[in-house]
Amino acid sequence: MSGIEILQIWIIAFFTLALFSFLYKDNPFYRLAENIFAGLTTGYQVSLIWDTVIIQKLWDPMMGGQWWMFLPGLLGLMMFSRFSPKLSWMSRVPLAVVMGITAGIFLTTQLHGFVLPQMQATMSTFVNAEGFAEFFLAALIAVGVISTMIYFYFSHEHVGVLGVTAKLGIWFIMISFGAHFGYTVMGRVSLLIGRTQFLIEDWIGTFSYIF
Amino acid sequence: MTIWERFDNMDRRWVYLMVGLAVIIPFLVPMKFDISITPEVQSFYDAVDNLPDSCTVMLVFDYYPSTAAECEPMAIAAAHHLFRKDCKIITLSNIPYGGPSMAETVTRAIAKEYDKEYGEDFVNLGFKYGPIAVLKGMGISIESIFPTDNSGTPLAELPMMDSVTNYEQVSFIYEIADNATADLWISIVNAGYGVPMGVGCTAVMAPKFYAFLGANQIVGLLGGMKGAAEYEILVGKLGTAYRGMDIQSMVHFVIIALVIIGNIGFFVTKRRNRKKSA
Repeated sequence: MSGIEILQIWIIAFFTLALFSFLYKDNPFYRLAENIFAGLTTGYQVSLIWDTVIIQKLWDPMMGGQWWMFLPGLLGLMMFSRFSPKLSWMSRVPLAVVMGITAGIFLTTQLHGFVLPQMQATMSTFVNAEGFAEFFLAALIAVGVISTMIYFYFSHEHVGVLGVTAKLGIWFIMISFGAHFGYTVMGRVSLLIGRTQFLIEDWIGTFSYIF
Repeated sequence: MTIWERFDNMDRRWVYLMVGLAVIIPFLVPMKFDISITPEVQSFYDAVDNLPDSCTVMLVFDYYPSTAAECEPMAIAAAHHLFRKDCKIITLSNIPYGGPSMAETVTRAIAKEYDKEYGEDFVNLGFKYGPIAVLKGMGISIESIFPTDNSGTPLAELPMMDSVTNYEQVSFIYEIADNATADLWISIVNAGYGVPMGVGCTAVMAPKFYAFLGANQIVGLLGGMKGAAEYEILVGKLGTAYRGMDIQSMVHFVIIALVIIGNIGFFVTKRRNRKKSA
């Protein structure tokens, strides 16, 4: 293991332990690590956008003869007019373009990618079920989908049949939250395991090279 | 003060200490709990295993270094599986931090084991801003979105990319994600271009992706460290996810015990307070 690799591991270990120190209480090491992370992230993001967007997607094509690329560049610059109260109206033009394009793309992708396949799957599972167990599970899914959707239907007061179905919907939502919470615990524990693996295997592993 | 009230007012740092011990002890004394293979991981493995040899696969590194503990074992096992099948791997990333460099590190390290050459057997396209435009654009021409690879070499100079123009030449998309870009791959690329795909994601995201699995929009799902550990077993390359599952189980025991004790304490205290007020 080279000296630079050991130094790299020790820097990572220092910041890992500095951030973990918050578990005991707030302290200068934690704040130092937090601020360095925020600064690095901002700097990295600005340089990345400069290189991959401004240079590669705007400047280079313009210099290569695609002069019309100045139009999206101009729209981008107009966004900065928001900083001036007198000129801020100009920013509505690029915002309108972004909103129009986003709405157009998302309308089709959400419909074709999510809504229709999910609806189709919900119905086909119900129709194609073989045996009581499959039928029961398919019916459970159908009841869950319908009652949850009714819970989010707010045009009528949730009373009577609507109220009972909405309450059933809450139960399905709560069970879903439980599953999400369980998975979230697993996810967060995994991250802790990752850091601990690094500290025990990599960082403590460097001790034999140093001491 | 009763034991339940004391428990209720316990300093949270004791919980951190208990979780910390539950993480460190299995490191020192491995318990080797059984890991069963779930159908969603088996179907993922089978789908990749049944791909034609030497086909082109996109291995997408859409995760940040912060979730590497969950996602990197998936990427490593995927690279082993794909290189073993002589698949051509195109790596890329839709997230700015870490994705391209992790793709570089993982694929180059594993490529050495299988004598694979950069440019002929695998290519790292790197990162481009704007995932929607990137995913849609690659449907027409990958080169129009990524004129060069991650290190600035024009795609025209990479032999592997001679036969790859767009998604039509891609047999499978192996998406490893810790964010919403996985949704975009499903809604834009799978739904729009019909490319089969599997998703490896963080545990936090996994419940949502079961809906896509149920609707056959994805062929399989690797959910968090557990999914990664199962995939490592199937590929036959046990790594950090497999080793981490002992710890995962121990911490879950601690958390379940705390939840049960906490709830008993809550109801006992509630009953006692009700009796007092009556």
